[in-house]
Amino acid sequence: MAGQPDLGRGDLVAMLAQLTDRPTDQPERIGSMELAWLVHLVEQRHDRRLDLTDDQLAGIRTVDDALVVFQTALAAADG
Amino acid sequence: MNGNPSSRDSNAIDPDWVDDFLFTGKPTDVCLRLPDPVDRGTLHRLVAEAQTRLGAAGLRPGGAVALRLPPSLAYVVNLLATWRSGAQAILLDHRLTDHEADRALRRLTPQVVVAPVRTGGAALRVFVEVTEGVTPYGDRPAATDHAVVQLSSGSTGPSKVIGRTAADLVAEVRRYTQLDGVALPGERLILLPSMVHVLGLVGGLLYGLHAGVELVPPERLSGAAVLDAIGAADSPATVLGVPFHIGLLAATQLDRPLPMFARMITGGELVSAATVRSFTDRFGVPLGNMYGMTEVGVIGTDLHGRHRPGIVPAPGIEVREVAGELRVSCPASPYLGGADPSRWSSGWLHTRDAGTVDPDSGLVTIRGRLDSQVSVGGMKVDLTEVENTVAELPGVAAAVVVWDDGITAYVQPAGTLAEETLDHQLAERLASYKRPRTLRLLDQLPRTTTGKLVRSVDTLRTAGTS
Repeated sequence: MAGQPDLGRGDLVAMLAQLTDRPTDQPERIGSMELAWLVHLVEQRHDRRLDLTDDQLAGIRTVDDALVVFQTALAAADG
Repeated sequence: MNGNPSSRDSNAIDPDWVDDFLFTGKPTDVCLRLPDPVDRGTLHRLVAEAQTRLGAAGLRPGGAVALRLPPSLAYVVNLLATWRSGAQAILLDHRLTDHEADRALRRLTPQVVVAPVRTGGAALRVFVEVTEGVTPYGDRPAATDHAVVQLSSGSTGPSKVIGRTAADLVAEVRRYTQLDGVALPGERLILLPSMVHVLGLVGGLLYGLHAGVELVPPERLSGAAVLDAIGAADSPATVLGVPFHIGLLAATQLDRPLPMFARMITGGELVSAATVRSFTDRFGVPLGNMYGMTEVGVIGTDLHGRHRPGIVPAPGIEVREVAGELRVSCPASPYLGGADPSRWSSGWLHTRDAGTVDPDSGLVTIRGRLDSQVSVGGMKVDLTEVENTVAELPGVAAAVVVWDDGITAYVQPAGTLAEETLDHQLAERLASYKRPRTLRLLDQLPRTTTGKLVRSVDTLRTAGTS
């Protein structure tokens, strides 16, 4: 994955912490703004664009949901 | 009012302002880049065609159209077509749930509803590809002569309804033209806020059309896409956004020089000095901010970032402080329905923002809210509305909703209640941006000795983790 270790839950929590300036205790649920932020940082980290649809994003309610969708999209991009 | 009374209702709005004030300039001038250019002539033709569809669905001058569309060409076209038909536009955020939208429609009784039948494009679009459906709804005239009606999260449950006349919108656009530090004719506005809300609607769409500023929504909501939009032409580009977008840009690797990047302006809450520094260090352009409300539009600005945290009242706007609350000149009450003297009285809007006005410089400083309203990505959300919605759900005995770096709900169930059930019910009743980020189910909510619910964030946090 372009020299990057696999994306883990801890990475997403750390990214959310950058957004909220709140180092720990991130809420489990994420909204559209947090999601846009995560997509942006994951794309920068992996230096590629995630090919996502609105339906995929609409199905994301939690950090764990996001992790599954991002991992799938990154694996697809690795093809 | 002229015309046949049977086909023209008493509140018909003079439609001429659309052509006289917004469609100025040459037909070949590009007004939107999506990214394909849309010129004024094309937009005007699309608007005329949409008027025919709205009329066929039952719209009459003096009626109202509810637009339940995401930011899109379809939204722009149907909005202008509504006004050009002498009708009122009711703007419903497309993220409202059916429950919220139905309640608004029953209250506002438009003649026609415009909503998507199909949306396309990839995720995180700022501007969406929409095929719209035009549906007859009612046959009553609009309740008022306002050109635009918007909902704002209300403090007592249902949303409060705000109306603005065409004259008021024109006056606000003229205020923008008098500000030093906005995009000028021939320049570009990289538009991030939704055109359904006041900043994107008036500061973006209407100002852009009137002043001859190209409106450029980035291809999608990402830092790279914003930089691409800035770099797509040589003419000066102003980025209009909310504080979230500053962070997004500051976290983006700059891979090329962008000499055309002129400035960024944000509405919404004030950003921290550290955020300002990280943005200006990276891009070397001014970061300005604006203060405004749905009720009156732009109230004050600091477009060069020289007065932070103060702002200068916009031309023609007076701001004064009464008992710690900022009041803004507003000749007529912007609220539909019964007058509420605690919100507007004698030509002054009671903002419910705490603040001060410096007697010497006239600079206004905002110091937070005096009520339970919070800002989520630039969207105003009243925590009381969220709390009432949670408390009224089946299976909920009591609820307290507070702001704790995000909307946080503490819920005391009546019997057994799964968090998932609660989540599901809330998703049916509240738009996504209003929903709690954190839900905590407690056997007993903390109460005072007299039995009142405790609202202290610290006490609730402790109760939620014990």
